[in-house]
Amino acid sequence: MNRIKTLILVDDDGIFVFLTRKAIEQTKIVELVEVFENGLDALNFLKENKINIGVLPEIILLDLSMPIMDGWQFLEEYTKLNPTMGKKITIYICSSSISPDDIARAKTISEVTDYLIKPIMKDKLIDLIQQLG
Amino acid sequence: MEKITDYKYALDESSIVAITDQKGIIKYVNDNFCNISKYTAEELIGQDHRIINSGYHPKEFIKQLWTTIANGQVWKGELKNKAKDGTVYWVDTTIVPFLDADKKPYQYVAIRSDITDRKKGEEDLKKTLKEISDYKYALDESAIVAITDQKGIITHVNDNFCNISKYTAKELIGKDHRIINSGHHSKEFIKELWTTIANGKVWKGELKNKAKDGSVYWVDTTIVPFLNTDKKPYQYVAIRSDITERKKGEEQIKKNNEKSIEHAHILELKNAQLVDFCNIVSHNLRAPLINISMLVDYIEQSEDEDERKEVLVKIKPVVNHLMDVFNELVESIQVKQDTEIKADQIMLEDCLEKVLRGFETQIEEYEADIQLDFHSAPIIHFPQKYIESILTNLISNALKYKSPDRKPVITIKTKKEANDLVVLSVSDNGLGINLVLHKDHIFKIRKTFHKHPDAKGFGLFMTKTQVEAMNGKIWAESQPEKGSTFFIEFKNQHI
Repeated sequence: MNRIKTLILVDDDGIFVFLTRKAIEQTKIVELVEVFENGLDALNFLKENKINIGVLPEIILLDLSMPIMDGWQFLEEYTKLNPTMGKKITIYICSSSISPDDIARAKTISEVTDYLIKPIMKDKLIDLIQQLG
Repeated sequence: MEKITDYKYALDESSIVAITDQKGIIKYVNDNFCNISKYTAEELIGQDHRIINSGYHPKEFIKQLWTTIANGQVWKGELKNKAKDGTVYWVDTTIVPFLDADKKPYQYVAIRSDITDRKKGEEDLKKTLKEISDYKYALDESAIVAITDQKGIITHVNDNFCNISKYTAKELIGKDHRIINSGHHSKEFIKELWTTIANGKVWKGELKNKAKDGSVYWVDTTIVPFLNTDKKPYQYVAIRSDITERKKGEEQIKKNNEKSIEHAHILELKNAQLVDFCNIVSHNLRAPLINISMLVDYIEQSEDEDERKEVLVKIKPVVNHLMDVFNELVESIQVKQDTEIKADQIMLEDCLEKVLRGFETQIEEYEADIQLDFHSAPIIHFPQKYIESILTNLISNALKYKSPDRKPVITIKTKKEANDLVVLSVSDNGLGINLVLHKDHIFKIRKTFHKHPDAKGFGLFMTKTQVEAMNGKIWAESQPEKGSTFFIEFKNQHI
């Protein structure tokens, strides 16, 4: 089993965060799960730690619909930030939106690896993390 | 005797002379006669005078001539004769009968002078005059004609003019042409017309005129200035044709086009609302459903009783949340469906007093300063329950998102604008919203921009729904840390 150090959840949905965290913890393949309730908090964390490779995550699961700064706005800012990041971060969009517009839009952003529609099964999560290893 | 010979010489030199006997047989012709008739004297003498008859004059005319001279009287007149080569010529003719002792004519002396050129001129003139009168007739029959002097006083109108303007000629002649002015055209337009024709140039255009009974009509108009020898116009001839039907058609088409554009705009709006609605269903309803389904799955799979209990209690809040979103959606759909809702006459001052009463405690607690200015538009037409809800939401936001650094100042005012529009604005000096980030979202359901425990993301969504239900518009200006202003444009405010 491949293991990774850090996974970041950017999502304001307490239930999703609770269940995903539980699922990941059960697999024991992630050392640390960090949670941010909106894009801005996550972005500020990344900005502050962009050369602090030790705390940067290997993977981000990003919700789209959030207050303050939503997933799209986060991606827009992250795209600007990406060239200066000290580490390659894999980003998955995790949204309850089934809108074809959203899915098509996600495809145009090279920083996004894939678009995952909630609910996300535990096996799928394990798969994603294994691919990174 | 010598004197008579002199006279004869003078006559022969100056005139065309012929002498016939009482039967009309030519006995003598002078050189002038030969020249004009192109016969030689030999060819003429002994011939009946009718040899030069052109056949132009009616029988009665010739008969009257012969009766006159046969009765011994002098005949004077103009004759058209025919030369040998078939060409014709006009002669002013005097025929003098020479009488015998019984007072019977024994010969006729015809003295003529060539008036062919004059006659031709006369004929041409007659022809031209006839042509002109034909043109005039054709014009009078086909067009609406008026003539004015250089000051615009009507000097002539034809029947068509009277028919369309519903005035009689008597009522029009001597009047200023402005009698049929409809007032439709701008001063500049009329000035340009007068400048053109006063400079001697033809003006063409379409004019809307007013008839005696106040009805209006459209005429395609050409005004031709008639110039005197100084090239100054001394009168204007206006030739018009009735294009009222065409103009009506054009106006109808224009109206229909405007209506189509408006319908298209409303349709676009409805479409946008539908897309919004689909997004709401996709984002806002699906999310809590997934949560419930995931929670239930988890409980089913878990074997630990404590864990099951821990997860179980999480279901209820999600269900409540789903219920809230669902109720909000239903509420907004009701607004969208309630297209028949009537606009009430709203005295804004009274309405505000009622709305502000609900905020009394907060206003006192925050020491908020509420300034009202409705002098530009004190009354609007809008459904009472919508305007109350809109103002409540906007004022509630202004108080909720106040700056911690200053006392809230909220200014609510109206401004009357062109096209029956009234714009209401609610300004605050609060936290403001970063519109660069949130421009697309401020009116969307479940979107919040500040970490406030009561922020639900429903107020502005509902406000926009209510404004758009009445075909109004809502927009915002805002700067973080300075404050926000919300604008609402109300349509069809006939005040």
